[in-house]
Amino acid sequence: MSAVSDRVTAICQPYFGPATSSFLARQCKSHLKIEVSDLTQAQCKELSKWIGVGAGLLMDQAKATEVAEKVARL
Amino acid sequence: MKPTIRNKLVGGFSAVLVLLTAVAGIGGYAVYSLKSSAYDATRVGSRLNAIAIEIQLHNLEAERRATKYMTALKASNGQGAQEGFLEEAAFEVHEIETLSAQAVTLAPSKEYRDKFEKVATAVADYKTALSHAVGLAKKDLNSAETKEAISSYEDAAEDLHETAEDGEAMGRKASEASLASIESTSGRSVTLVTVISLLGLALGSFVSFKLAHAILDPVEHLKTVAESVSLGNLDIAVRRYSGDEIGDLADSFSRMVTAVKFFRMEAEESLEAANAHGGDR
Repeated sequence: MSAVSDRVTAICQPYFGPATSSFLARQCKSHLKIEVSDLTQAQCKELSKWIGVGAGLLMDQAKATEVAEKVARL
Repeated sequence: MKPTIRNKLVGGFSAVLVLLTAVAGIGGYAVYSLKSSAYDATRVGSRLNAIAIEIQLHNLEAERRATKYMTALKASNGQGAQEGFLEEAAFEVHEIETLSAQAVTLAPSKEYRDKFEKVATAVADYKTALSHAVGLAKKDLNSAETKEAISSYEDAAEDLHETAEDGEAMGRKASEASLASIESTSGRSVTLVTVISLLGLALGSFVSFKLAHAILDPVEHLKTVAESVSLGNLDIAVRRYSGDEIGDLADSFSRMVTAVKFFRMEAEESLEAANAHGGDR
């Protein structure tokens, strides 16, 4: 795991709980075509967009936007 | 400080306690001022009344002594006057002077002060008239000047009597006014204590109501959400009502619902993929 992926996981943990790793793996693989462990700082902006979209399906939109913004600020 | 349930309860009950202490303090102060004001009013009213009656008595005594002196002077044809009567009359006059000065100091308003100042003026005139009449009577009891001086003295005595009567009436009035003042102060105190108690009751009820809602509303929301999730509805929003323990619980529950939704979605997708794969064969 890279330092960036650790930080993204730490940000997402309070929102996704036990589904954090699976959720991030799914977003990285489907949209960025990479493993979570290979995540770099430059990809965080793109990932945050997909986190916002994916989280919007699972929780209320305000929370989804909140977590996406936190990842984007990395 | 985190707004935990414990802190909310401690804060709420402290506020109610402070409120009750304030109500008790104000109530105590109202009773104390009533007592103090009643005491002052009664003391001043009664004292003025007593002074006025004392002035009347001393006035009567002074006149009696002066009359006895004049009678003795006439009986002895100006030769055997009894100076003792005159000294006693002077003593009575001095007492009236002292009492009227006390009454002027004690008087609660200008109206009362003016009346007792008139007594002081009347007694000074009486003293002068008596001294003048006695001085002339000793020289020549039957002269026109002496008769005129005695007549002036009698007028001064009458005037003193009337002003002393006015003083007595004012003393009575002061006594009655003190009763009215006690009635009014006690009425005001009862109103004040009642209003403050009602205000305290309303504020206490408001604080209790807000406190109960601050604790019960999030719990009721969580109960509804838990019931809904237990029946299979995962599309329900879990709101964080407060920053206390119940807010933390709502966050945990929200996380759990999100994870369940995600895993269910993944499971459904896997099932669809497996079905599609099976269909292809």
